[in-house]
Amino acid sequence: MNAFEGTLSKESGGRRWLVPALLALLVFGALPALLAGFDRGYFYQIANLALIFVLLSASMHLVTGVAGLLHLGHAAFYGVGAYTAALLTSKLGLGFTVTLPLSGVVAALLAFLVALPTMRLVSIYFAVATLAIGQMLYLVMLNWVDFTKGPNGIIVTKGFELFGVALSGRLASYYTVAVVVVLCVVAIGRLSHSYYGNALRSIREDDQCADAMGVRTVRLKMEVFTLSAFFAGVAGALWAHMTGYISPGDFKFSESILILAMVVVGGLGSLPGAIIGALLLILLPEGLRALGDFRNVMVGLVMFLSILLLPKGLLGEVSALRLVRRQLGGAWRSTGKGEGIGWR
Amino acid sequence: MIDPYYLQQLAIGLSLGMTYALMAIGFTLIFGVLNVVNFAHGEIYTLGAFAGLVLISAVAPPIVAVIFGALAVGALAGFSLERLAFKPFRRFTDEASLKSRAMRESTLLSSLAVSIVVREALEILFGSEMRSLPFDYLINTPVRIGPVILVTGDFIIFGVAAAMLIGLQYLLTRTRIGLAIRAVSNNPLGAKYVGIDTDRTIITTFVVGSMMGAAAGILMGLYYGAIFPAMGFVPGIKAFVAMVMGGLSSIPGAVVCALILGVAESMATTFVSSGWSDMVAYAFLILTLIFFPNGLFGARRERV
Repeated sequence: MNAFEGTLSKESGGRRWLVPALLALLVFGALPALLAGFDRGYFYQIANLALIFVLLSASMHLVTGVAGLLHLGHAAFYGVGAYTAALLTSKLGLGFTVTLPLSGVVAALLAFLVALPTMRLVSIYFAVATLAIGQMLYLVMLNWVDFTKGPNGIIVTKGFELFGVALSGRLASYYTVAVVVVLCVVAIGRLSHSYYGNALRSIREDDQCADAMGVRTVRLKMEVFTLSAFFAGVAGALWAHMTGYISPGDFKFSESILILAMVVVGGLGSLPGAIIGALLLILLPEGLRALGDFRNVMVGLVMFLSILLLPKGLLGEVSALRLVRRQLGGAWRSTGKGEGIGWR
Repeated sequence: MIDPYYLQQLAIGLSLGMTYALMAIGFTLIFGVLNVVNFAHGEIYTLGAFAGLVLISAVAPPIVAVIFGALAVGALAGFSLERLAFKPFRRFTDEASLKSRAMRESTLLSSLAVSIVVREALEILFGSEMRSLPFDYLINTPVRIGPVILVTGDFIIFGVAAAMLIGLQYLLTRTRIGLAIRAVSNNPLGAKYVGIDTDRTIITTFVVGSMMGAAAGILMGLYYGAIFPAMGFVPGIKAFVAMVMGGLSSIPGAVVCALILGVAESMATTFVSSGWSDMVAYAFLILTLIFFPNGLFGARRERV
């Protein structure tokens, strides 16, 4: 870094490390300190839940926000990840270190198989197909009683661990979830703000035009669909090991809609927006616990009002891109005006 | 000679298909005109059923009055739905924004949001568990025809669905307002240029479609004897499947496909447990989308 020389202070380069450092400090320092200060299991649960949904929302952002594929079955892949983790633990006795990547891989593999026939479909037809696939996976979880124990759900006996070292305790489990989620979100951020992300954006804007310009649209769509399922699967493994109990009800259509609502409220195509949306829609209902039954109505209302009044979302794509480029632009290739167009 | 068991399953399947058809008609009407999917149609259906419940428990009128009450609620719900979730996104009327994907997807999401709000509000008002309707009103007295047992509701539903279909065909092809609806469906901008009040036409479409949805809801409530706030979801998806299979804008096509779907599901329960029968609908949907992207009866579309 030549920020020490002071010559770059006017340019964006000087502050590149500041915002990531502050964010890391918040997630790994201030928040756990607060949680430890209150020391209530409930707060840890909420923090972990919020982090898992941040990952889900970020993975949805990749497929729906950046690539413009309206995905109505995302929760099913989250469920596939959770069930993979739970079954590997209960049937084979594997630990978190193995189940975490495997859950992602299984979800991604399934998504790849699903993507093979459905990727030719566009807009609403694709949305309907993903809805059907999500529902099919949900039905499998619900009805294949011999394998998934059906509506009774599965008890996951093992918590978090790293190569056999148990990470028990509330703070350790918070750190595990936080590290995995942050790593995944950084990966998604690099993907969606790179040349790769720009190619995906071109598909969203006009796939026929992008195709004519030499962007391999179908292949890119399949890649992004598979990738987002991978991250959803990872989130599922986190959820399974965190709660210790999963049932099909956690992965039904309304969860897909909740994740979609997070991305929409935050702003389609904006990763910081997706994160804010996830935090808002998880923390707001918890904060409104006093309202009791009205919590779910609030989710619907927030979604409706944000579509109506903030069609670009809380943090729209353009401002989000600018923000990311200014504050986090690690390896931008400058075009001479200080604004790059993406990571290679 | 066919095994009576299969005849019975066929009869059950046809009556199941009729119930999907009831819902699919309204769904398809709205899609055909606006080219947007109305995710709140399932909630209109639920609202119709609950309106019937409230009417029955409050004043206990004759059954025809109950249905008219449900129709009125459906009309009102359709009107408010259009004003709330669809009108605000028709701010621009130029060709580009009429065809734009952003507009279509924002109405899809807004109708989804409205449907969440309505369903949750109903859960707060009525509780999420099943509510049973009074026994006197139910339409499931058994009727025996040869080896097959049906209930009176099957005939009523068949009659209503047929009446709806014929009435709708009459409305669409023989009346001025039907002409306007078809014009808007064909080309909204062109319809505007020749002096059709597109806004009013769209509202009319919503009101008619939602009345049919509400009627379907109360009939289903009386048929099964139990209603609950989430009851619209599964029939909504089935109606959706029927609509896609039928080719999205063809109402008779949707009805035929709803029947196919119903029969396929009831036949499937012969071989697998009933929990899996929903799988048939989704499999049909995926297969249709992949192999018959224009639907079985639909007109050719540019891109699917």
